[in-house]
Amino acid sequence: MGRYIGYPARVTLFRKVLIANRGEIAVRVVRALRELGIASVAAYSDADRGSLAVRLADEAAHVGPSPSAESYLRIDRMIDAAKRHGAEAIHPGYGFLSENADFAEACTAAGIVFIGPPADAIRKLGSKTAARQLAIAAGAPVVPGTERALSGWEEARAAAHSLGYPVLLKASAGGGGKGMRRVNGDSELQSTFRDAASEAGRAFGNSEVYIEKLVEEPRHIEIQILGDRHGHLIHLGERECSIQRRHQKVIEECPSPLMSTHPDLRQRMGEAALKVARAAGYANAGTVEFLVDRDANFYFLEVNTRLQVEHPVTELVTGLDLVEWQLKIAAGERLTLQQDDVTWRGSAIECRIYAEDPDRDFMPAPGSIVHLSEPAGPGVRLDSGIFEGWNVPLEYDPLLAKLAAWGPTRESAIRRLDRALSEYVLTGVRQNIAFFREVLADAEFRNGRLSTSFLDRFFQRRKKTEAGPEMEAAAALVLALESQGSGSPLLTNVSRWLESGREDLLR
Amino acid sequence: MKRHVIVNGRSGTIEIEGSRLRYAREDGVVIESEFSLEGTSVLLNGRSSRIAKGAGKEIWVNGLLLSMEVFDPRDLRPGQGATSSHGRQEVAASMPGKVIRVLVALGDAVEEGQGLVVVEAMKMQNEMKSPKAGRVAEVRARPDATVGAGEVLVVVE
Repeated sequence: MGRYIGYPARVTLFRKVLIANRGEIAVRVVRALRELGIASVAAYSDADRGSLAVRLADEAAHVGPSPSAESYLRIDRMIDAAKRHGAEAIHPGYGFLSENADFAEACTAAGIVFIGPPADAIRKLGSKTAARQLAIAAGAPVVPGTERALSGWEEARAAAHSLGYPVLLKASAGGGGKGMRRVNGDSELQSTFRDAASEAGRAFGNSEVYIEKLVEEPRHIEIQILGDRHGHLIHLGERECSIQRRHQKVIEECPSPLMSTHPDLRQRMGEAALKVARAAGYANAGTVEFLVDRDANFYFLEVNTRLQVEHPVTELVTGLDLVEWQLKIAAGERLTLQQDDVTWRGSAIECRIYAEDPDRDFMPAPGSIVHLSEPAGPGVRLDSGIFEGWNVPLEYDPLLAKLAAWGPTRESAIRRLDRALSEYVLTGVRQNIAFFREVLADAEFRNGRLSTSFLDRFFQRRKKTEAGPEMEAAAALVLALESQGSGSPLLTNVSRWLESGREDLLR
Repeated sequence: MKRHVIVNGRSGTIEIEGSRLRYAREDGVVIESEFSLEGTSVLLNGRSSRIAKGAGKEIWVNGLLLSMEVFDPRDLRPGQGATSSHGRQEVAASMPGKVIRVLVALGDAVEEGQGLVVVEAMKMQNEMKSPKAGRVAEVRARPDATVGAGEVLVVVE
């Protein structure tokens, strides 16, 4: 009878949507679109012609050469591709053009719906300093400090006394840690102030320095927000993302282990996040990031005006589909959920599977996937953008997949995630699967004692997992038989082995 | 069948007879077992391991990467790296192993056939000899370093 098997008739949000992204997030969006009966168009660069997203999507549009500046970052080509394919809306994913207000505006000007917040909200929250001012005005806590440059070290001392040591001196024009110095007490202040100012001057041509209270060993906890275009905003609770390397998250979880000892923290952080979002006129999905100190005081950091990489843990615990809501909200539908409708059930933890070498400072390790066997089973969710034979391009972030596990308690989620990691075989590139198993087994991690310096400390006590003699014997067996030539189990190519077996039978 | 094994810089041997294997490491660890091999699955004493090939010579067992080389002891022939007897000559390791001693220093005069570096594999010490009379132009071998087959140890000119 109907064309949509198993799909209930409903008002279609969009007929066709272009995905202006790549990798696992493009696959995630293709899946959401198909579930809603919406046709998908995967934008792709030269390097991504054979990608999983292109294979799974209904249509695909070439947007340029491999370097992202010539493809995934090209506003004109994305708009052009959407028009060519007749897409009514564009989902930007994360990264690339997702937080680009000009792109959001260009979409609107071309009569295409941008699936994200209004351009104006992106602009207001785009600059860290502007967002901080907005947060202060909205009444959200920020890391205490001077809002302007200090005239000299005497003024710095007065400010440090009112804030309390330790403090952080930061370059006004700053970035990348240049001109940033920790100060523990008065005795260090004068010389450190001089060093910070001179380093800032050399790096930025501006030696102005300001001061902030230093949050020691902070946790990184963020609040997921969701709002419609009719002024209704709610929060979906927190994600703890303290396990980071090079200031990039690698393990995320919901709820934060801190919530068990501070039961009112979620509500207080959620309200603070909503104050900032309301002040910016926010709509669609977004994330408000906070630092949380040892005493569970939280401080506004910034707003990510897009879908977050780690959104699956919120989906697993709340049972909501964030991408589906993004689409509905972008189509102008009302957010029918009230704050009290949102409940958090159990615990979910995600780890980001990267092509990188944990033993060599997480250096990216692109290459071809030789063997892939993916985990499954109860409580496991895998958002992956790879397949056997896929060549991980050099040009982009080496995120391969996100593996998440849900369990009724944090302990059970950890056990499930470890079990899933143990099933995961991914060779051809170096990856961090075995490393995650070491982290999950760590007592500090299990006890939920997390901070952004967790991994630095972990490396000091890490005992690398090595294969035992029995595993060595198994590998030696395979290689020895292979070296013998005939009847060798060529694991790189099972079909070749089967072929040689058939040939043997025919002899 | 008997093969020499170097795994993570450590030597061992594997002997395979029918469906039995004996894996012996230089540190005295021995695994003796019935085995069964099917595709990527290995059973040793009934215990299951998953093996997967990676890039190049990489081999992964149960999700752990092993740096492993397996070779035939009959292939151990010293001085294989030398190809001609004049000009600049590279002396390379003929098999993977561990550098035990470096016998010469930069600038030393050497005779043809003089020992340059001692490399051990499978508890067998192998002296890499100079292919010609000359002077040591480069010493790349470092004591205790693990070297792969074909890796240049010393250059003589």
